[in-house]
Amino acid sequence: MLSQALDEEEGRAQPGMAGEKRREQPLARRSAWRLAGLLAWSILVPFLLFCLLFELLPVVITIQGSLTNGGTGGLSLAGYQRLLAQASNLRAFQNSVALSLVTALIGGLLGAVAAYGLASLRQGWLRNLLISFCSIAANFAGVPLAFAFVATLGVTGFVTVALRSWLHLDLYALGFSIYQFWGLVLVYVYFQLPLMILVTLPAFTGLRPEWREAAINLGASPAGYWWRVALPILFPSLVAGTMLLFANSFGAFATAYALAQGNINLVPILIDFLVNGNVTVDFGLGDALAVGMMGLLLAVVALYTTMLRRASRWQGQGR
Amino acid sequence: MRPGRSQEQLLFNDLFGQQSRRHFLRRAGVAGLSASALAAMLEACGSSSTGSSATTANVNMAGPIKLDTLIANAKKEGQLQAVGIPPEWADYKDILAGYTSHYGLPISYKAEAEYSSAQELEVFKNSKTRPHGDIGDVGFKFGPLAVQQGLVAPYKHAYWDDIDASLKDPDGYWCTEYYGAQAFVINTDLVKKPPTSFAELLSGNYKNMVGIDGDPRQANDAFLAVFAAALAHGGSLDNIQPGIDYFAQLKKSGNFTVARSSIANISTGEVAIAVMWDYLGLGFRDQLAGKPHLEVIIPSDGSIAGPYVSVINKTAPHPFAARLWIEYIFSDEGQLFYLKGYAHPARYQKLVAAGKVPPDLAAKLPPAEQYANVRFPSLAQLNAASTLVNNNWGPQVLGS
Repeated sequence: MLSQALDEEEGRAQPGMAGEKRREQPLARRSAWRLAGLLAWSILVPFLLFCLLFELLPVVITIQGSLTNGGTGGLSLAGYQRLLAQASNLRAFQNSVALSLVTALIGGLLGAVAAYGLASLRQGWLRNLLISFCSIAANFAGVPLAFAFVATLGVTGFVTVALRSWLHLDLYALGFSIYQFWGLVLVYVYFQLPLMILVTLPAFTGLRPEWREAAINLGASPAGYWWRVALPILFPSLVAGTMLLFANSFGAFATAYALAQGNINLVPILIDFLVNGNVTVDFGLGDALAVGMMGLLLAVVALYTTMLRRASRWQGQGR
Repeated sequence: MRPGRSQEQLLFNDLFGQQSRRHFLRRAGVAGLSASALAAMLEACGSSSTGSSATTANVNMAGPIKLDTLIANAKKEGQLQAVGIPPEWADYKDILAGYTSHYGLPISYKAEAEYSSAQELEVFKNSKTRPHGDIGDVGFKFGPLAVQQGLVAPYKHAYWDDIDASLKDPDGYWCTEYYGAQAFVINTDLVKKPPTSFAELLSGNYKNMVGIDGDPRQANDAFLAVFAAALAHGGSLDNIQPGIDYFAQLKKSGNFTVARSSIANISTGEVAIAVMWDYLGLGFRDQLAGKPHLEVIIPSDGSIAGPYVSVINKTAPHPFAARLWIEYIFSDEGQLFYLKGYAHPARYQKLVAAGKVPPDLAAKLPPAEQYANVRFPSLAQLNAASTLVNNNWGPQVLGS
C-alpha cells in the first residue's frame, strides 16, 4: 500500500514522458525494481555505517577535542595556542612536510621512469613478476621494514660491516646514519617507489602508439613528442601519484618510530607521545596537531582529486 | 559485631584448625552444604542476620584477612580476573599457575594480559557500571593516580611491615611487589672491557654503541635511564637536568645511538651497550643464550629503581579472590617467583636475611652489593623530572 502511494506521488512529481512510461509498467515489475533498489541500499548500509563509525566520527571527535578545554569542557582554542607556542611543534610539521615532500618527489620521479620502463617491457612474464614485487614492496612498512634496514645499513648492518671490512669505508664515520633524516628518506623511498609504479602504470600503458605515430608523421622529434603529447597527457596522473605518496608518508608512523623513535621530530610521533606515554598527557594539543595534519592532507587530497578528474578526462578521450 | 556470634566463630575456629577446617568444609560440601549454608546455620544460632553474607560480616576487608577465611570465600567466588598480568613478564607464568594449583581457582588473564598501566585503570573505571577485573599490576606512578580517581580498594597483606614505607601507600591502596633497577646490558662479544659506570661510557671509545629502551619522553624505562645518568653526572633525585646534559654529551661524542635497545637490536649488536631494566637484560641474556654473550652490570655511580605496584579494583567482582592473590604474591613463594623472573621482589632483603633465596638463583643475578647504590625517587620527584625531560630532551639532546 505504502509503496503504491509513493509511486503515485512520484508519478505526479515527474510529469512528462518518463512518468507516463512508468505508469504503463505492470505494478508487479515496478515493485520488483523498487525492491531491488532497496536491496542495493541495504547492502550499502554496513559500509556506510563503517564509514560513519570509523572515519567520520573520529574526525568529529578529534575536531571537538581540539576545541574543548580539557579542564572545564568549555569551548577554547587553548590546544591551538599551545601548538603555536612551542617551536618544536612547528618544527615537527616542518620535518613531516619535508620528509613527505622529499620522499614523494624522489619516489615519484624514479617511480615514473620505472613505470615507463615496465609499460614498454615486451616480456609479459617479467612484467608480471615485477608488478607482483611492487605490490609486496609497496605494502612492506612498519617494524619489519625498519628492522630490515637496520640489519642492512645499521651500525652493525650487513652492508655497513661489508664496506668497512672489504673497502675500509666506514659509512658512519662519513656521517651517514640510518637513524637520521636521510636514512629515513631511504627507508621511505623503499615503499614509495613501488607505490608510484603501481598507481601510474595504467597511465603509461594508456599511451597509444597511434599518437606517437601521428606525432612522428607530423614531424615531431622524440623530445617534441614527449614534451607536447605524452607529458601533457601523463602530467595529471604523475602529479596525482606524487600527491598520494605525500599523503602516504605524511601519516606513516610505525616505520619512523621503529627506526628512530623520537630522534626525528615528526607530527605523528609527537601525537603518540602526547596521548600515550610518560609525557604530561595533553589530549587537547594532540587533537590540535591531528587537526593540523588533517587540514594539510585535506588540501593535498583536494588537489589530488582535481588532478585525477583531469587525468580521467584525458583517458576518456584516448578511448 | 555481636559478641555471641563472634564467640561461636572463635569456638568454631578452635575446633577446626586450618587443615581440618578446609577438610570439614569440603566434606560439608559433599554433604550438600556450602560454606555459606554452614555460615547461615551458625548465624541462625546467633542473633538475626544482617543481610550481608555472614562470613564477610565481621571480616575487615582492608586486611589482613586470615588465609583460610580468604580461601573459603574465594572458592565461593569461583574465579579471579587478572588485568595486566603478562605471563612472560617477571615470571608471572609460575605465579598464575601456582595460585591456581594452590587454591583451585581458575584465573582469566589472557585477554588483558598485555594492558598498559593506563589501560588497566581504564578497565577499573568501566568496572563501575559492569563489575569486571579484580587485580592489576601498574607502574609506580599509577598507584597514587588510581587512588586519586577512586578506582582501588585498600588492603594490607600479612607481610605489610616488611615493605619499606616509601614503597607502599600508608592506607594500603597500593603496594610495591617488585622493582627493577637501571643496569648496563653489555654485549661482551663486541665490548671487550665492559664499562661499570656512566662516567666510563662518556670517556671510552664506544662509538654508536650506547642505546636506551625507547624515547624518554614516552618510555618509562628510557626515562629512568636518563634519571640514573643524572645521579652519576652530578644531579640528584631532585635534579634530572645533569642526566639530560649527560646524554647530550654522549650524543656529541658519537657514543649514543638512537636505535632502541630491543631484543632484536641487542641480538644483532646494533646496540652493544643498553641502559635499561636489569630484569629485561637478564631475561635477554637467558633467551639469547650466548648469541651474543651478554653481561648485566648495575652502574656503580648511579642507578634508579622502578617499582611496580599491586592494586585491587574497588568494584572487583571477586573481592576475596583478589585479596588472596595479593597474599600469594607477597608470600615467600610468590616473591621468589618474581626473583626467578629477575625482578627484585619487595621483600628481597627479608628473604635474603632469612636465607630463603636459593643459591643457584642468586648466582644468576648481579651481586647484591651492586644494588647498594639504587635509589627510589618519590612520586613528586618523578613528576618534576619527567616534565623537565619532556621539555628539554628534544631540543637539547636530539636538536629537534
